[in-house]
Amino acid sequence: MTALDNLLLISAVTLVIAVLAGNSRVGGWLVTIMYALQGAALMMMSGLGYSTLTMVQSSFSIEVLSQQLLWRFDALSWFFALITIGAGLFCSWFASGEWGEKYRDNGGSLRLFHGALALNVFSMLVLLASGDLLTLFIGWELVSWASFLIMALAGGKAFGYAMRYISYAFAGAMALLGGLLLIYAEVGSFDFQSLKEAVPTMSSATLWLLVVLLTAGFGVKMAILPFHLWQAKAYAETPGPGAAFLGAISSRMGLFAFIVVIVQLIGISRLVEMKIPFTFLDAQDLLAWIAVFTIIIPTYIALRQHDARRLLAWHGVGQTGYMLLGIVIANDLGSAGGLMHVFNYATYQAMLFMVVIAVIHRTGTSNLNKLGGLFTRMPLSYLAMLVGIIGLAGLPPMNGFVSKWLIYRSLIVDGSPLLFLGAVIGTLGTILSVYKLIHNIFLGQLRVEHVAVREAPLSMVIPMMLLAAVVFVTGYFPGLVLDWTSAVQASIGIPVLAHHLGGIDMKGGLDMIWIVSVLLVGFGFGTLVFFLGGRSKRVHQLDNYAGGHFLTAETRYHYSDNFYPGLMHLIGPWYRNSFEWLERGLISAVDTLSTAMQGLYRNAHPSYLLLAVVVFALSWVIV
Amino acid sequence: MNLLVLMIALPLLAAFLLSIIDRASSFAARVIGPLVLLATAAIGLSVWSQLGDAPQAVQWGGFQAPLGITLYADQFGLLFALAMTIGTLLLWPRSTGNQLRSSSLALLLAGTGSGLALSGDLFNIYVFYELMTVVSYGLIASRGTSGSFASTLRYLVISGFGAALALAGIALVYQATGTLNLAQLAQVAPEKLNNLQGFAAFVLMLVGFGVKAELFPVNMWVPEVYATASSRVSALLAGVVSKLALLIIMRLLILVFHQPEALTVLLVLGILGVATGELAAWRARDLNRMLAFSSIGQLGVMFIALSIPGNAGIFAALAVAVHHLFLKPAMFLLAARWGGSIRRLCGAAKTSPVAAGLFVLLSLSLIGVPPLPGFWAKLLVIMPLLTLDQPLYYFAVFIILAAASLEANYLFRVVMKLYDKQPTAVPHKAHATADLATAVFLGGGLIAAVFMLVPLADRLDSIAAQATDVSTYIQTVAPQSLEGDVQ
Repeated sequence: MTALDNLLLISAVTLVIAVLAGNSRVGGWLVTIMYALQGAALMMMSGLGYSTLTMVQSSFSIEVLSQQLLWRFDALSWFFALITIGAGLFCSWFASGEWGEKYRDNGGSLRLFHGALALNVFSMLVLLASGDLLTLFIGWELVSWASFLIMALAGGKAFGYAMRYISYAFAGAMALLGGLLLIYAEVGSFDFQSLKEAVPTMSSATLWLLVVLLTAGFGVKMAILPFHLWQAKAYAETPGPGAAFLGAISSRMGLFAFIVVIVQLIGISRLVEMKIPFTFLDAQDLLAWIAVFTIIIPTYIALRQHDARRLLAWHGVGQTGYMLLGIVIANDLGSAGGLMHVFNYATYQAMLFMVVIAVIHRTGTSNLNKLGGLFTRMPLSYLAMLVGIIGLAGLPPMNGFVSKWLIYRSLIVDGSPLLFLGAVIGTLGTILSVYKLIHNIFLGQLRVEHVAVREAPLSMVIPMMLLAAVVFVTGYFPGLVLDWTSAVQASIGIPVLAHHLGGIDMKGGLDMIWIVSVLLVGFGFGTLVFFLGGRSKRVHQLDNYAGGHFLTAETRYHYSDNFYPGLMHLIGPWYRNSFEWLERGLISAVDTLSTAMQGLYRNAHPSYLLLAVVVFALSWVIV
Repeated sequence: MNLLVLMIALPLLAAFLLSIIDRASSFAARVIGPLVLLATAAIGLSVWSQLGDAPQAVQWGGFQAPLGITLYADQFGLLFALAMTIGTLLLWPRSTGNQLRSSSLALLLAGTGSGLALSGDLFNIYVFYELMTVVSYGLIASRGTSGSFASTLRYLVISGFGAALALAGIALVYQATGTLNLAQLAQVAPEKLNNLQGFAAFVLMLVGFGVKAELFPVNMWVPEVYATASSRVSALLAGVVSKLALLIIMRLLILVFHQPEALTVLLVLGILGVATGELAAWRARDLNRMLAFSSIGQLGVMFIALSIPGNAGIFAALAVAVHHLFLKPAMFLLAARWGGSIRRLCGAAKTSPVAAGLFVLLSLSLIGVPPLPGFWAKLLVIMPLLTLDQPLYYFAVFIILAAASLEANYLFRVVMKLYDKQPTAVPHKAHATADLATAVFLGGGLIAAVFMLVPLADRLDSIAAQATDVSTYIQTVAPQSLEGDVQ
C-alpha cells in the first residue's frame, strides 16, 4: 500500500459512507471527518509539494488491450488534489449543519447530495492520479459524469442546464478522445514519456490537429471561449455547497489536463514554433488571446446578472481566463501566477458562494434586486464577502492580488502590452461587478421582510471564516503557496520562480509582508484617529438620504436595479448574445438534418430506388 | 459430430411438432419450447467446451464437400449460434394472441439462426436466411395490429428485393467458380473472384444480406418494424438476428472477397448508416423508434469496423456486435412499458426505479463511457482506423465520435424525462417481471464484463483470430480435396 493507495482508498470509503449514512446528521459530520482524513493522507505525500519527492505510484495497475493503465501522483496532481480535498472538506462541513436539514426538509435527498459530492472528489482524485493518456480519459469521463450528477440533483430548471452541460462535455470528451487516439496512432502508445519523445518529430499539421482537438476537449470543461455558455447556469443551479465546490475546483480539471498534455508533454516552446499562416501569430498567441477573451466577455456578462449565484459563476468562467493566460505565457512568473491563481481563486470563490448560500438560507433569495442592508444582520457573512471580493477583484492585501500581479508582470516581461490591456479591462469589470454584489446584498437600507434575519449558523460561518483566514494569510505570506507552485514548475519542466515567504526577489519585485504591514499600520492609525478623535456620531441604518431627499423608515429605498446605467449606456450595445445565437444555429442545423433523415426513413421509396440503381449498375458492369 | 446437427434440427423439429403436442396437452406445448432451447443451448455449450483451438466440420448427408451439406463450427460461428439460441430463450415471445404460433415461430427462428451461423456453404446460408426472413415476418405480424401489418409489408418488399439480389450474387459466384462451398471458394477466390465480377457479386450479396443487418440504403424498414412489433420481437431482431446477417458478411469477407474496393463500400455504407441513423434518432419522439434508429447507427459502426483490413477489423466488429447483443435487447425490453411519446415518460423513474437506473447504465455503455464495455468496444474500432492514415478513415472516426455526442444528447433527454420531478397525469405502468428480470440479467452481464475485461478481450481476440484463419477453414472442411478439381 503506497500513500496514494491510502488516499484513493479513503476517498472510496468516504463515498461509501456518504451513500450509506449521508441522510443522517451524524453521517454528514462523519463524511466531513473523512475528507479531513483524506487531507491527512495527502499530507503523507507532502514531499511532492516541496520537491523532496518526485512521484508516488499506486500499486494498482491493470493491462487492458495490451495497454498498461497506471495511476500516480506528482507535484501537479498533489497541488490540485490539495485544493480538491480542501474544497470537499469545507463544502461538506457547510452542508452538514442546518443547510442539510433544510435541504432534506424541502424534499432533497441529502444522501444523494453527499454521495455526489464524495463521488466528485473521488473521481477528481482518480483523474489527478492518471499516469497515461488512457487513464487520463477514463478519469476525465468519471469527473464529467460526476459533475453532471451533482448538477442535476435539483431537478426542474437544473435538468435543462445539466443537460446542456453534458452535451457540451460529451462532445468535448469525444474531441479529446479523437486527439488521444490520434496520439496513439502517431506514437503507438498512450504513455506520457513516448508522447514527449515523439513531439519533436511530429509534423506541424498533425500537431495543429492535436492541439485543436485537445484544447477543445479540455476547453469545454474550463468553459473557455467559445464553449463558455454552459457553465454559469449549471453551476448556479447546483444545490447549495455543491455550487461552491464546483465553482472552486471542478472546471480546474480542464486546466490540469491542459497543463499535463499541452504544457508538460507537447511543450509551449513547440506551440511557439507553430505559426499561423498569413499572420504574425503562433499557437501560443492564439491560446493567449482565447484566454484574454475568456477573461473579458464572461466578466462583463457577470456584470449584468441579477442573481448572486449567476454573477459569481460567470466570474468563475472569467477567472479561468487568468489562469490559462498565465500558464500559456509559461515563463516563471506567468506559470507561477496561473497556478497560484487556481489555489487563490478556489479559496475565495468557495467562500463567496458560501456567503451567498448563507444569505439564501436566511432570506430565501439570491436575487440582487430583492436584498440589501444585511450588513447589520449578518456581519460575519459580510466580513467574509468583503474579504472574498477583495480577493476576487485582485486587490491587496488578499491572495488574489499576488497571483494577478504575477500574471500582469509576466505579460509585461513577455512584452505583450495588448494582452496586458485585455487582462486589466477584465479586472475593471470584476471590480465593478463585485461591488454590485456586496452593495446589493449587504449595503444600503434593510428591507422590511429581512428585519428578523439572523447571522448564519455556525456550521456555515466557521468554514467561511476559516477560508477568509486562508485568503488573508496566503495574501500576507504568498511564499506558502509559491513553494507548491515552484514544486509544480520543477516537475512539469518550466523555469522555477525564485521566491521567499513574502513574495518575489527581482527588480521591481513584490514583498507582500511589507505591503500588508504598511496597510495594516495605516488602518491601525486610521482606527486610532477614529476612536480618539471623538468627532464621530452613530447613525441608524435607515437614517439616510439619496438624491437630496431624506429617506424615511416607511419608504425604504435601495438602489439595485439598472446598476451602472452610464456604463451600460456605453457598452450596452455590445451585448449581442452572439454565442447564444451560434448555439441555437447549431441546434437548428442538427434539427433540420435530423428531420431530413427522418423523412428519408419514413419513405421506403429511396430504398427501392437505391436497390434498383444497384441492380442496373451491376447489370451494366457485368454485361 | 451429430451434436452440431442437433443444434439446428432440435428446434426445427420441436417447432413442427408443437401443434401436435398442443392437441395432447397445451401445458406441454407451452413448456416444451423453452425446454428444447435450453437443451439446444446445453448442446452448444458442450460443443463449445470440446472445441478448443480446433474448429470442426460436419458433412451432412453422407457426401463429402462440395456435394454434401457442410456444417462448420468454430468459436466464431458457435458464439452466434449460441447467442441465437439463448437469445430466443431469454426473449421468448409472450404473445397476447396465438401463443402456439409465436412459440413455433420462435423455435423456427432459433433453428434457422443456428443453421445460418454454422453453415459452410453459400447455398445453405441462402436457404436458412430465407427461412429466417419468413419466420420474422410472422413474428412481426403476430401482434396483429394494423401498424404491424403495414410495417411487415414494407419489410417483406424490401427483404424480397434483397433476397433476389443476394441470389443474383450467389449466382455470379457460382458462374465464376462452379462451387458454393465456402472452403472451396476460399481456395479459388484469389484467382477467380478477384475481379469486377467478384466485386459485383460481393456488392449484390452485401446489399441482399444487408437488409437484415440494417445496412444503410436497405434499412428503411427498421424504424417502422421496431416501433410496431412487440418489444421482445424487436429485441430479437435488433439484438440477435441483425448480428447473424453480419456474421454472413464477415464470413464472406474473410473467406471469399478480398478486394480493397469491398472494404471501401463497407466503409462508405457504414458511415452513411451511422450518420443517418443517429441524426434521425435525435428527433425521434418515441422510445422504440429512437432505439431503432440508434440500432441502425450501431450496426453502421460495425460495418465501419469491418472495413478495417485484417484481424483487427473482425475483432473490433465482433466486440461491438457482442456489446450490442447484450445492450439492445435490454433496452427494447425496458421500452416495452415506455412506448408512445417520450414526453409521457415524465417521472417514470418513481414507478420503476430499477428500470430507470438500468436505462441510465445501458445508455452510458451505449455512448461509450469508460470503464463500461461500450467504451472499450468503441476504442477497438477507432484505434486501428486512425493508424490506417487515410482521409476516409479519419472521416469515419469523426462520424463515430460526432454520433456519440448526438447519442449522449438524445439518450439523456430521455433519462431527464424519466427522473423529472413532475410526473405526468397518466400513471405509469410498472414493468412486467419477466421483462425486467431479463433486462437486469443482460445489464448485469455488462457490469460483469467490466470486471472481466482482460480475459474477455483475450477471448474475443482469439475468436477473431480463429475466424480469420482461412487455411484452417479449408483444411478442416476438406482435408483431402485441397487439390480437388473445380468445374
